Amino acid sequence: MHKNLETYIEEIGHFLTGRREREEILSEIRSHLLERAEQETSPVDEAALGKVIAAYGSPRHVAEKYLDGRPVIAPAYQRHLFRYASLLFAVHFAFVMFSVVFKRSFTIFPFLYVPDLSSILFDAIMYLPMAFLADFGAVALVLYFITRSGREIKLPWPKFASDLDELQEPEAKTLSARIWNMVEAVIMVALSAWAFRIYARFHTLFVAHSDSGKFQPLFMPAPGRTLSLVVLIMLAAGTATLLIKMFLSSRRLACWVDIAADSIALVLIGVVLRQQRGNLFAVDVPARLVTWVHVSLTVILLVVALFVAIDLVVKVVRLGRGRLAR
Amino acid sequence: MDNELGSIETEMKRGFLQLLVLVLLEKEAYGYAMVRAFRDLGYEVEENTLYPLLRRLEKRGLVHGKWELSEERPRKFYSVTKAGREMRVGLLAIWNKQDEIIKQISKENKHA
Repeated sequence: MHKNLETYIEEIGHFLTGRREREEILSEIRSHLLERAEQETSPVDEAALGKVIAAYGSPRHVAEKYLDGRPVIAPAYQRHLFRYASLLFAVHFAFVMFSVVFKRSFTIFPFLYVPDLSSILFDAIMYLPMAFLADFGAVALVLYFITRSGREIKLPWPKFASDLDELQEPEAKTLSARIWNMVEAVIMVALSAWAFRIYARFHTLFVAHSDSGKFQPLFMPAPGRTLSLVVLIMLAAGTATLLIKMFLSSRRLACWVDIAADSIALVLIGVVLRQQRGNLFAVDVPARLVTWVHVSLTVILLVVALFVAIDLVVKVVRLGRGRLAR
Repeated sequence: MDNELGSIETEMKRGFLQLLVLVLLEKEAYGYAMVRAFRDLGYEVEENTLYPLLRRLEKRGLVHGKWELSEERPRKFYSVTKAGREMRVGLLAIWNKQDEIIKQISKENKHA
């Protein structure tokens, strides 16, 4: 019994599939390595075996040679993974919106379950990243079965659709892009400073000009303060993102900054959606208008959340692809 | 340049090794004996490539594998099957055709 050899064989076995096939492969490798080591020195010692094992290759490399030509997802279908995952996620997102607006759950067993998320809007936002992962996994599973079937199936995809897997790394910043970034940053700094000044003066950002010529809060104190703080944090995060990215040369770090900013934005949108129930206005507003504002605000925030979620996914994919390439 | 040559050589070897194995296995042999036979002919083969190749050929019914347990060490002996011989004829025809094409073009280049 050669301990090093058995450890090596066990490590190769870790990467192989099929119990019977694995045992036969490992027996053949064991027999080969022992005979090869015997050529070096007889009787076989650990040093000779170590040399032969090192020359034979790393366990993963050896195992992959047996798995060659048996990909989990055939190369022809690999681009469909992102295609269909993004498409499925869009459908999933639409169901989340329906769940929020129509206050009901949706079940298409065993493919889809969207609970009634109308009373816990914050959870609707938190639900989205998990929905994407579930969609990605479901598409991967289907493509795996198609690959295993060995049949030639032409998967459809509309010609006008764009692909997540075709995302290109942004080009290095030109001078005009840098100037534009600077202008954006100046605007954001001015806007944030102005918003902070209004908040310091009125303890809310939302004020209306009354008939008596004075400014009065537009919203009730509690929701008004929450909404104001959310807007202030969003402005501060946006400004900080722009300023940080101006001084960053690494695209990878810039991606991380965007991911952090998108995550903060999603959480804040969730907070707003959670708050906007009940009596919102501190001024007289017709009841129909109140309902209209509530529905519009919900839809607008969900659409913004969709775009932020898409940007988040794009950045995560870009970062993941960079890591895989390295 | 050397790296590029090595990578193209690896690609060429992939097909060539299959043909070589089908030719060699007219006589029954086990993996390591085949490695030594190739080496004696001046052809180096990566040992960790040969066994997976034998396995694939066996699955496709082109070679037949049989464990020999009576010796000091268990060994799997391979031999070419009828389907393997038919495949070998086809592969050799392709090999000869390719060789002819290269020779013909080289001859034309010399006269040009």
